[in-house]
Amino acid sequence: MIALLLRRLLTAIPTLAAVVILSFVLMRLAPGGPFDGERALDPATRAALTHAYGLDLPLWHQVLRYLARLAQGDFGPSLVYRDFTVTDLIASGLPVSLTLGGLALLLALAIGLVAGVAAATRAGGRADRGLMIALTLLTALPTFVTGPLLVLLFALALGWLPVSGWGGGDPAHLLLPVVALALPAAGAIGKLVRAGLATALAQDHVRTARARGLSPVRVLLVHALRPALVPVASYLGPAAAGMLTGAVVIETVFALPGLGRHFVQGALNRDYPLVLGVVTLYAGLIVLFNLAADLLYGWLDPRMRG
Amino acid sequence: MTVYRVEGLRIAAGGRAIVDGVGFDIGAGECVALVGASGSGKSQSCLAPFGLSPLRAGGSARLMGDELIGAPEAMLRRARGRRVGFVFQQPLTALTPHLKVGRQLHEAWRQAGAPRPSRADLAALLERVGLDRADERLDQYPHRLSGGQRQRVMIAAAIAHPPALLVADEPTTALDAELRHAVLEMLSGLRADGLALLLVSHDLPAVARHADRLVVLEEGRVAEAGEAAALFAHPQAATTAALIAASPRLADPPPALPPPGPPLLAAEGVTVSFPRPGWRRARIVAVSDASLHVAAGEGLAIVGGSGSGKSTLARAIARLGPVDAGRVTWEGLPLPDRAKMRPAHRRLIQPVFQDPVASLDPQWRVVDIIAEPLRHLHPHLSAGERHARVTAALDEVELDDAFADRRPATLSGGQAQRVAIARALVTGPRLLLLDEATSALDVLVAGRIVALIARLQQTRGLALLFVTHDLAVARRLCHRIAVLEAGRIVEEGPIKAVIAAPAHPATRRMVAASD
Repeated sequence: MIALLLRRLLTAIPTLAAVVILSFVLMRLAPGGPFDGERALDPATRAALTHAYGLDLPLWHQVLRYLARLAQGDFGPSLVYRDFTVTDLIASGLPVSLTLGGLALLLALAIGLVAGVAAATRAGGRADRGLMIALTLLTALPTFVTGPLLVLLFALALGWLPVSGWGGGDPAHLLLPVVALALPAAGAIGKLVRAGLATALAQDHVRTARARGLSPVRVLLVHALRPALVPVASYLGPAAAGMLTGAVVIETVFALPGLGRHFVQGALNRDYPLVLGVVTLYAGLIVLFNLAADLLYGWLDPRMRG
Repeated sequence: MTVYRVEGLRIAAGGRAIVDGVGFDIGAGECVALVGASGSGKSQSCLAPFGLSPLRAGGSARLMGDELIGAPEAMLRRARGRRVGFVFQQPLTALTPHLKVGRQLHEAWRQAGAPRPSRADLAALLERVGLDRADERLDQYPHRLSGGQRQRVMIAAAIAHPPALLVADEPTTALDAELRHAVLEMLSGLRADGLALLLVSHDLPAVARHADRLVVLEEGRVAEAGEAAALFAHPQAATTAALIAASPRLADPPPALPPPGPPLLAAEGVTVSFPRPGWRRARIVAVSDASLHVAAGEGLAIVGGSGSGKSTLARAIARLGPVDAGRVTWEGLPLPDRAKMRPAHRRLIQPVFQDPVASLDPQWRVVDIIAEPLRHLHPHLSAGERHARVTAALDEVELDDAFADRRPATLSGGQAQRVAIARALVTGPRLLLLDEATSALDVLVAGRIVALIARLQQTRGLALLFVTHDLAVARRLCHRIAVLEAGRIVEEGPIKAVIAAPAHPATRRMVAASD
């Protein structure tokens, strides 16, 4: 178990390095630079800035320098917000994104599990079909549609909730973005639970459990549900990393000061260190969550421990 | 005292009666066996009254005086939890994979409202069903156990509460001959405490020795019922006789086989190993240093328990699987490695596998399935000649021309296996590799397939490499036998002599389990 963890973390290092190098190079291939503004800087200032940030070095040198700093936990300075380091910016945005993503994840799990279990236990019935249509609709609707629709209804028409903004983490401000972010994930989770559980319920060991005279609820929760959650675990790994590191669209629609906004702004401004910092964080989380999902498999189905 | 009484049981599926008028009763400490071919309604007869089938039952089924038919689900659930235990056919899948053995036993024990069992209670339960190292097993997950061990765990869970009636639905079908015998003995032994036993099986001779009474079913009706020994000795109904004949015993007189010809195939020092799964670089040796030979028209049985390496060896010899070392010759000339086999070589040896439905491409028509080896191995044939050969092959396996356009999904297990045999025969092979070719089939169907192979052996002078775990079936088709244990050939010789006087303990156990 410990050996597995160590091995997985070690293999993560080259993965992360590859992600960073690739993003670094890709970003440099894009036209434009951090100092291209509306008004052109005078050549001397521009050259001084370029030199100060080491952008005049050969590309391979810059990559190595960045990797070396990264290894020490230094994301570097922001090229556009010149008084801040990338670490500062991430530290300001991450709590917002974590709160938003974490709550949305919990809500998505709650809705998905309840809807999936309800559909699977009524497999083939009218309730099943109705639920599946609703879940498919949730997955199919993009957040830039559901977000504004929710705002239209609950903020503008009914006036119950604020339209946008963070409000210092006020629950009323959080409610709509959390729901909008959770709905597509809830749809996906619900469908996976439905499929997994319907398969599990048809299996021999469930019949054995029923033959033991167990109550239907016990059969469902103790004997059928765990193996049914394996596909959910594999979905949750990358999905959770994505939701926690900033839902770009939701943060834009609701004007939230999260990581996603930094990422978009950073990309538009060619703020290389900022974009790389967010990408690295995201890639690291993906690796971590996939590892967590793998460990979860072993708990859900001991046969996978090998 | 009657524990379970069934009268006029009716079960319908899609408007058609699949069980009609079945009745029997079981007293405390008695064993009744429901016997029949697949589709005779024997499993439904024992599961539907307890609400374990989607089908509804009519008639009457009384468990200790209480009527089950038409009873509400809550009452059926209570009956299942307290008075009946169930053992199912598939030990590999019938236990919950994510719960440890001890946890499942604990659940079964508590179900009837019994006080919390101690660890020693649960271990004693496992010992009662003949499982060794019982205490250790409690902390194991089911997938760590072998099929036979899992079946014992399932039986232990079924008798934990303890029940008055134990229903065992084909409890030994998925096990090899040796385990089959041991598990039946153990089940029968449980009756000493007054447990009533309802056995469901297609293996009439095997259950006849343990049951007090037999009920033979045919298409949902009782064909014959009576005292087990008498019915086995003097079957009245045709089905009963067919069921007895379909499960040959070693006690039956051996059949006459055509005399073998000159040497055909010889294998020397065949070794096969597989990489161990996981990160460590180790290999599992599946077959080590095996040598054997087959003459023209001769049947060689390769027998052994599950995991003994018998299929791996046969596939290595036929060049269908990997080989690490060893030489195989055909009429004195070396047979090339798997990758270098030429059509001229492939034509000579053709395989038939265990699962007929899985070994046929579901998208293809029967005629194309049978013609495919001809396209590759006899490329010079014209379309007309090819068609003629396909028709002849169908005829040889007793399928009429109408089957040519059907697809595998529309075939029964027996018909599909006939198609697989036709596909093997069509290239005109001299040796047929039968890898458990009858094990997945219903008992009556398997009997007919064995008869078909015996006839082909006579008419075509086919040599057979017959991989099986069933000694009695092996003796019907083979002259000689090679017994495998843990990848090694431990005994080899003329089958009659080996069965009459087995030298190796593994052979002795197998012979003891088969008679």
